[in-house]
Amino acid sequence: MKFVEEFRDPELGRALAGEILGLVEPGRHYKLMEVCGGHTHSIYKYGVDDLLPANVELVHGPGCPVCVIPMGRVDDGIALAHQDGVIFTCFGDMVRVPGANGSLLEAKAAGADVRIVYSPLDALRIAKQNPDRQVVFFAIGFETTAPSTALTIKRARAERVENFSVMCSHVTIVPPLRALLESPDLRLDGFIGPGHVSTIVGARPFEFIPADYGKPITIAGFEPLDILQAIVMILRQLAEGRCEVENQYSRVVPYEGNIRALEVMAEVFELRPHFEWRGLGFISHSGLKLSEAYADLDAEVRFAVPGVRVADPKACQCGEVLKGVIKPWECKVFGTACTPERPIGTCMVSSEGACAAYYNFGRFAREREVV
Amino acid sequence: MTVLALDSERRLALCVGEDGVRSQVETALVEPVAPGERLLVHAGTAIACLTASEYGR
Repeated sequence: MKFVEEFRDPELGRALAGEILGLVEPGRHYKLMEVCGGHTHSIYKYGVDDLLPANVELVHGPGCPVCVIPMGRVDDGIALAHQDGVIFTCFGDMVRVPGANGSLLEAKAAGADVRIVYSPLDALRIAKQNPDRQVVFFAIGFETTAPSTALTIKRARAERVENFSVMCSHVTIVPPLRALLESPDLRLDGFIGPGHVSTIVGARPFEFIPADYGKPITIAGFEPLDILQAIVMILRQLAEGRCEVENQYSRVVPYEGNIRALEVMAEVFELRPHFEWRGLGFISHSGLKLSEAYADLDAEVRFAVPGVRVADPKACQCGEVLKGVIKPWECKVFGTACTPERPIGTCMVSSEGACAAYYNFGRFAREREVV
Repeated sequence: MTVLALDSERRLALCVGEDGVRSQVETALVEPVAPGERLLVHAGTAIACLTASEYGR
């Protein structure tokens, strides 16, 4: 299958692993962070880290869109879902994210009309089919997903679907990266840049990483050879004393991004002054809300939303996992009290979360090592 | 996903995934597209046209 099989070739994978081995200095420890949940998933699914030398460590940053949603935001969604006449729609992995008052799935079990959708377009279709109900779409995700929401909002306006609104929890990638780079407890040597976010925003927004912080970044695709090649490119930069934005995923990432997507986002959204991230706290200008021109489609304007801030459970160490301070298996409740079936933290919910990815794939290799 | 048919007026495409599942996809970000082209689809919206990329050609 074109675009897939050629990026899973085992021989090429072994060759890249050999190239990595040749690029690392013995005695130096390399810490590379990926900031896309899709990368985290692929790394564990394909055992990419098993092909790396012991002194090349992959750190799993805050790139899973579900994992960074704070508990209070889930509770706001649940409160909306319980309002009379509301059909609350969201992506499948969002329904199991625990808030302080349970999850959306539990709200559905308690009688709220919560429906899983594949896209915001599906939510809009539900609104058209139920003109006597209010349909709210819980919009989450980085710049990859935000254009989809923006286009649907414009479509709702154009088609005069007045019973549709959006609870916007979209986030942007650059502010948390800057927050991580400012964090004193995190020493990183480079970044594996997000592939699909970059399809939208391009490579240019990441220029501050080499310019201001002296770290290389290589935007990467999601197949195992993509990730291995990106690691080669970062290590080569380090070996040659270079520090640049490089684009391994050029087959879908233009340097300037998708201009139409950026334009529709600029029209429909505006930056919130602050947005709370799970484990990272409030980060300035990191979240999106609907612009004044589309405020009538903003669920937080149309309905009363509690907006209460809820602290993460003490046992949960998602924050440290998201910052790459600890590995998933180092969390006190990993695999015991917190499993994909009964998650305590968000990182265990989505298949792109570091804990769930490790629980589903990586732990078996580790168990073999322990034995 | 592969484009099967287009509704140009509504800027939607009927696409089929590798698993055979068909779905409606927003094409506004990647137009023009044609039946048979491969799209990178995220949350129901095509965000890149693989066959139009340098690699795809």
